[in-house]
Amino acid sequence: MAGLVRTGARHQRAARRAGEGGKRTEYLAFTLAGEAYAVQIAFIAEILKPPPITEVPRAPRNILGVVSVRGKLVTVVDLRRRFQLAESPIDRKSRILLTDLGLGEQIGLLVDEVLQVYRLAESELEAASALGGDQPAHIAGIGRPPGQLLVLLDLRPILET
Amino acid sequence: MRRVLVVEDSGSTRSFVRAVLESADRTDGVGPCEVVEASCGFEAMRLLPRGPYDFIITDINMGDINGLELIRFIRKSEHHRSTPLVIMSTLSGARDVERGLALGANAYICKPFTPDELCAACGRVLSQGAR
Amino acid sequence: MLEVPGGRGDPSFDKARDEFFSEAQELVDGLGRDLVALDQALKRGHSDPEIINDVFRGVHTLKGLAGLFGASRMSVVSHELEDVLDDLRLGRVELSSHVLDALFQAVEIYNRILAAEKGDGPDPTADAEALLVALGQVSEHRGGTGVGLIAQYDLDPGLLGVLTEYEEHRLRTNIQAGLALFRIRVRFSLATIDSALDDLKEKTKPHGEIITYLPTGSGTDIETIELEILMASRALLHVLRAAIAGPQVDIEEVRRRTAHSLAVQSSLPAAPMAAAPAPRSPVIRLDPTTDAATLGGSGPPPILGSTGLPALRAESTSARGSGPAPSATPAPPPGALTGPVGVPSRELSLRSVSQTVRVDIRKLDNLMTIVGELAIVRTAIAGLSDRVRIRPELRQLGIELQRLHRSFDRHLSQLQNGILEVRMVPLGQVFDKLARVVRQISREHDKLVKLSITGAETEIDKLIVEELSDPLMHMIRNAIDHGIEPPSEREHVGKDEVGNIVLNAFQKGNHVLIEVEDDGRGMNPEAIVASAVRKGMVSADEAKDLTAQDIFALVYMPGFTTKEVATDLSGRGVGLDVVKTNIAKLGGVVDIVSGVGIGTKMTITLPITLAIISVLLVEIAGRLFAMPLASVGEAMGFDDRQVRTLEGREVMTVRGKSLPVCRLARLFGLAATEPASTRSFVVIALMGNRSLGFVVDRLLGQQDIVVKALGRSIKSVRGFAGATELGDQRVALVLDVAALIDEVLAGGESRFMAAALA
Repeated sequence: MAGLVRTGARHQRAARRAGEGGKRTEYLAFTLAGEAYAVQIAFIAEILKPPPITEVPRAPRNILGVVSVRGKLVTVVDLRRRFQLAESPIDRKSRILLTDLGLGEQIGLLVDEVLQVYRLAESELEAASALGGDQPAHIAGIGRPPGQLLVLLDLRPILET
Repeated sequence: MRRVLVVEDSGSTRSFVRAVLESADRTDGVGPCEVVEASCGFEAMRLLPRGPYDFIITDINMGDINGLELIRFIRKSEHHRSTPLVIMSTLSGARDVERGLALGANAYICKPFTPDELCAACGRVLSQGAR
Repeated sequence: MLEVPGGRGDPSFDKARDEFFSEAQELVDGLGRDLVALDQALKRGHSDPEIINDVFRGVHTLKGLAGLFGASRMSVVSHELEDVLDDLRLGRVELSSHVLDALFQAVEIYNRILAAEKGDGPDPTADAEALLVALGQVSEHRGGTGVGLIAQYDLDPGLLGVLTEYEEHRLRTNIQAGLALFRIRVRFSLATIDSALDDLKEKTKPHGEIITYLPTGSGTDIETIELEILMASRALLHVLRAAIAGPQVDIEEVRRRTAHSLAVQSSLPAAPMAAAPAPRSPVIRLDPTTDAATLGGSGPPPILGSTGLPALRAESTSARGSGPAPSATPAPPPGALTGPVGVPSRELSLRSVSQTVRVDIRKLDNLMTIVGELAIVRTAIAGLSDRVRIRPELRQLGIELQRLHRSFDRHLSQLQNGILEVRMVPLGQVFDKLARVVRQISREHDKLVKLSITGAETEIDKLIVEELSDPLMHMIRNAIDHGIEPPSEREHVGKDEVGNIVLNAFQKGNHVLIEVEDDGRGMNPEAIVASAVRKGMVSADEAKDLTAQDIFALVYMPGFTTKEVATDLSGRGVGLDVVKTNIAKLGGVVDIVSGVGIGTKMTITLPITLAIISVLLVEIAGRLFAMPLASVGEAMGFDDRQVRTLEGREVMTVRGKSLPVCRLARLFGLAATEPASTRSFVVIALMGNRSLGFVVDRLLGQQDIVVKALGRSIKSVRGFAGATELGDQRVALVLDVAALIDEVLAGGESRFMAAALA
């Protein structure tokens, strides 16, 4: 289980915060094309209702465009395109997760719907290998809160490139 | 083997002093030394508590705290108040050298110097002991 | 070659010698930079004591090094130079352009000496001697400065005793200039003292000058250190306290001893003291102990060092060949400007100090961003005003609103221009550096070159000036290296043996143009083409259709950079692709005109400022884009029938000239969101001497915008200079016109299209 999530100062901080009552980590769950995913909440700076997105011609396909968040330009990535999932138009449930991995820029992730925050104990986490075979680097593991199944994402491999 | 702290902001001057003192001869009254280098006054202050040093060589004109301030600090400190101390400076710094000596430095060597001159100066302060 | 006495062949000495060369070179380079900074300051009527002291310390170190490593010529030059600099920093000699000339000369001589010491340069002895003569003439008048001033202050003798001569001089100068003294006690952790102290310096810098840092030795354990900092400042105590407040910081004003100070005052020249403020605090104690000169009670210790020099020789600096004894000439007040009368010029120098503020450019950027936000507000108000005015019942309100809008608009542009003006600096800053480079390189190559500069006063954004230095240096180096012929060859072809390089700068509309022109060999198009074909950069067939302009553009291609090619061609090419890239980053372009045997002219076209720009908003396939107006020539209706296709490229004819056309929707791969409008437009963009028509669907008007950089993740997408917010949260991409023109005209088969332009 140690290799489940990359250890970083942020992660450790987040883990410590959640530390009361056993080792728990907070994850934000959301849906993409009907599937439930989650990322560590420590990396989410803000959740936005999508402002008008300006597409950038000739940018990589994953990149939906740019938006202005209080005067700052933010690049928005469409995870559905990244994961080759079905796309649906932006609606009133769509949100942009403003992520900050400390890469020097905040990046927005467009998601279909934000579900809730889960505080997952170690016993509720499973390694990516549980899915069998070679999993892509951005799959950090599986989260199993009662009655749910979450694909836990590691954002670095997705956003670093 | 004697241990010396060399405080000087010029890297090549430090290397020169190191080369001379590491290969110094017994006949100079110095003998081969273990040279500890400090590239500025603050680094010297960090290194001083890690002494003891048998003697200290310091420049005057340095970026942060100047050599005079360092000398005063050294002379006030418990461990190094009597450690032999040599100023290395150029001729034009005469007024500063004078102050350094007044503050308790034991000797002064004028830049530029030859390896022999450096060894001789160090040998002399070592044999005299600090005042 | 250098020889280390008694240490040759020893590996550790070899290491020291290698270090010597690199350290000496670094120091010399640093000197050059500092001198340019001094020169600039001097031209504005300032003198920067910190830089002068840096120069002194640099030379001082060089002198020490030279002596250690037996570089005797360097040693001699440094020795003389150090004396002059010591006089300068201690205020005994004033910094004049004459003195600076000698110092600049010294930097060149250092470079030549270093080259000679390494064994790859001619013997610089003669030049070094000429310099020594010049330096000897520099310090003619010197004299003492006000002694006893310092004693008026209630300063710890221990602190005064550890001031170096320079620090003491700065202390005196600051007192004379009427600044108050402050004592700051601050505790640092030894582990982090460097950064903590930098932080403190940063905070105090706007308020005055730090004279010295003295470790107090009290309250110090192994981990922490307490420093007593002596600072001179014009600010009031509470201002300083607020600026540097912290749990480990304690600050107090150093009080004056009133009675004593009056006595001393009467013995001083009237002018400097008149500037000093009245004593601030009552008598504390009357204690005449601490005149700096009387410190150090114990007898002189033994002096070591068998250099054959007698003891300390405190007077030795005055034993120089020329110059009268120190007391012979009354010194001008230190820090005074060169002027006919002492007193008025003194006042002038004080005033100039207080009227100049040094500002971090980031703060200006910040202000500019705010102006940009205000511009968005302005646009919103305009829209509101329009909406109100069409309602008859609100007509009066609409008129008032419109009036307010106009006034707001006017003041906002004034504010914007004001900030832009502050950011502007003269190009002379970078030209001065080039003058030195020309002298240096022409000597390296044994060529005679005269550099003429016009337009050094042309102003451009500070950030651009900083980025210009390298590309210009490269171009000048190329001009001398490959353009200007050796004197014998020049005579042979009937040219003056002295080659000319002309550096022209001037403003043209919203751009600044910088021309680097030489009267050398010029570039041979045939040789360039042959080489490009040989390198496979163009096919032989393609080569037939290249215009002169296309051919010169080849030298900017990355592959075209080998020395062998450059020499073959008697042409250019060493790293010119880098020049082009750097200029492009600033939103500029480079153009070349060259004639064989006549010379070469390279022209850099740059925007004046990077901050706020006026743009033309256009719509392409339902999306908004902004085109910088600076690069837009004109816009006109576009008619498909005007377009002809030549070699697979679209061209239209405008006023009898062919204009290549780029359909942006197609280039960007944008599908129309609505049926194509019946009418579209072509916006003609100009960059340097190239132009291109961009086809757009609609023109939406002009607007001032703040360009914001795109995030790292999409920086590499070509064709966009950034993006801007238009209000109502919409974002428009700003086209990078220079890059697009490049892409369209230079890319692949399109190279031929430029032919139509020539």
